[in-house]
Amino acid sequence: MNAVEIKNLSKNFGAKQAVCGLNMTVPMGAVYGFIGENGSGKSTTEKMICGLIPVSGGSIKLYGKDYTDGAVRARIGVLIEAPGCFPGLSVWDNMMLQAGNLSIPDAEKEVVKVLKLVRMEGAAGNKYKNCSLGMKQRVGIAMALLGDPLLLVLDEPLNGLDADGMRIMREVLTDVVKDGTRSVIVSSHLLGELQKVATHYGIIRHGKMIREMTADELDAGCRTYVALRTGEMNKSKMLLGCRYSRVEEDEAGFLRVYDRTTPEEIVTYLYENGICVTEMRTDKIGLEEYYIDLMKEGK
Amino acid sequence: MGNAVKLENVSFGRRLASMLKVDFRRMLRSKLFYILIACALVIPILITVMMTMMDGSVSVDPQTGVETVLEGPENAWQSIGTLPADGSENGGAAMGGMDVMSMCNINMMFLLAAVFICLFISEDFRSGYAKNLFTIRARRGDYVVSKTLAGFVCGALMLIVYLIGAMLGGAISGLSFALGSLNAGNIVMCMIAKVFLMLVFVSIFVLVSVGAKQKAWLALCGSLGAGMLLFMMVSLITPLGSTLFHVVLCLAGGVLFAVGLGAVSKRVLEKTSVV
Repeated sequence: MNAVEIKNLSKNFGAKQAVCGLNMTVPMGAVYGFIGENGSGKSTTEKMICGLIPVSGGSIKLYGKDYTDGAVRARIGVLIEAPGCFPGLSVWDNMMLQAGNLSIPDAEKEVVKVLKLVRMEGAAGNKYKNCSLGMKQRVGIAMALLGDPLLLVLDEPLNGLDADGMRIMREVLTDVVKDGTRSVIVSSHLLGELQKVATHYGIIRHGKMIREMTADELDAGCRTYVALRTGEMNKSKMLLGCRYSRVEEDEAGFLRVYDRTTPEEIVTYLYENGICVTEMRTDKIGLEEYYIDLMKEGK
Repeated sequence: MGNAVKLENVSFGRRLASMLKVDFRRMLRSKLFYILIACALVIPILITVMMTMMDGSVSVDPQTGVETVLEGPENAWQSIGTLPADGSENGGAAMGGMDVMSMCNINMMFLLAAVFICLFISEDFRSGYAKNLFTIRARRGDYVVSKTLAGFVCGALMLIVYLIGAMLGGAISGLSFALGSLNAGNIVMCMIAKVFLMLVFVSIFVLVSVGAKQKAWLALCGSLGAGMLLFMMVSLITPLGSTLFHVVLCLAGGVLFAVGLGAVSKRVLEKTSVV
């Protein structure tokens, strides 16, 4: 049984088709990185999973049940766009309201537990409207964690989080899925951060799933490149550009050769042209580059 | 890896109880609720005292020279409804006249309830709370029932507080509490009928509010507009001399409206985006 199984999902807003024929599978125990450009249909899909907007076509199954089933819906934690809190109430009151909606028996204890998880226990008395963006995001995450959710749907949860917040977030997500039954769908534009936690990926473009893969498959699919630094970078770039099809300079000032080659071959070639290599390493492209490549292919 | 997932169906009663608990908790923490209750208490006192003080004062139209004599209330119950015609001069207003006491009476609370319901519901959508709620609550009907009941309780409280305010105003102004041909039972029936009639208004306001979602101004305009259409009928359906017939009529109307419009509200929530 999968945590989420979406088949041929579509959503139209008038004449505009936001999601068309989307298929998506989130296994149990997965942290599913849901990636796509702005307006690609990520949030719309997440909202449909949560039952917040009506579906135009297709089916959504959550833990083998239809997404409209009350029993399964009661076990979804959500953070979409911004946390749903009343600005005039305190963080504590907002949490207690959500705990009440979830009919949590020992609500106070549970609220304290999730606030501690996101290091917000000291700010429970603060009015929500007085919280900073990062604090609000933490409250949203805490709220999503209330009631032992089976499925967490987090849309851009890393927005506004500081380094500590991001670390906490990673810890929380890893912890949530460790028993193998709970799953997380997380969409973020911070692909580097996402790569640290995601076990599965889904890449969406123009409302269609263009690729679904596991982290291992991504790793296997990521090309290796040779990064090097020489005494004459401009000349090296020109020479390598003549011989290899894709040579780029990265932010750290390294020349990257993405073609299938060996470091020895590059060193020999540059040496023959009177250039000495000062630094060299081989590496794999990350999720960010993989995604950019994929988007370029599509265009 | 243990992949056993236990999903528990929650009964309607438990779902509704928890939602009502949350709504009442919110209501009791909302400033708006206390402001409206305070208004319900202060308005009848102010109106009764001021109208009594102005009783008999003459205003002259500077252009025509026509003199108008302002008439104050003669009876404390006039804030609740007009005493039936029993040969007195006031009898003409029994069908809901256009004098100040006929317009500014307890029936205003039916419109004031719109303020509470519209702002209460629109805040759910504006704050994003609706996202949290509708994610874990698949059944939109629960929401409609809960809001209708919360609005109904608030409206009923406003009516009761207004009655207390009217009595206080009457006592402060030294007005008569004589019931004439009526008895205390009629007053009780009148109040019960008004409380049940509140359900009709609340159902309309809930429907307009769930349709308008975060647009509080639209919900308010729509609700007040719809409320005004029914407003003039309130004094006819719930006169001061109400009997069991009026109570049953209002109860039937309230239940019918609550069920019918509740179903429409539920449909609206199901068929439209809640974010």
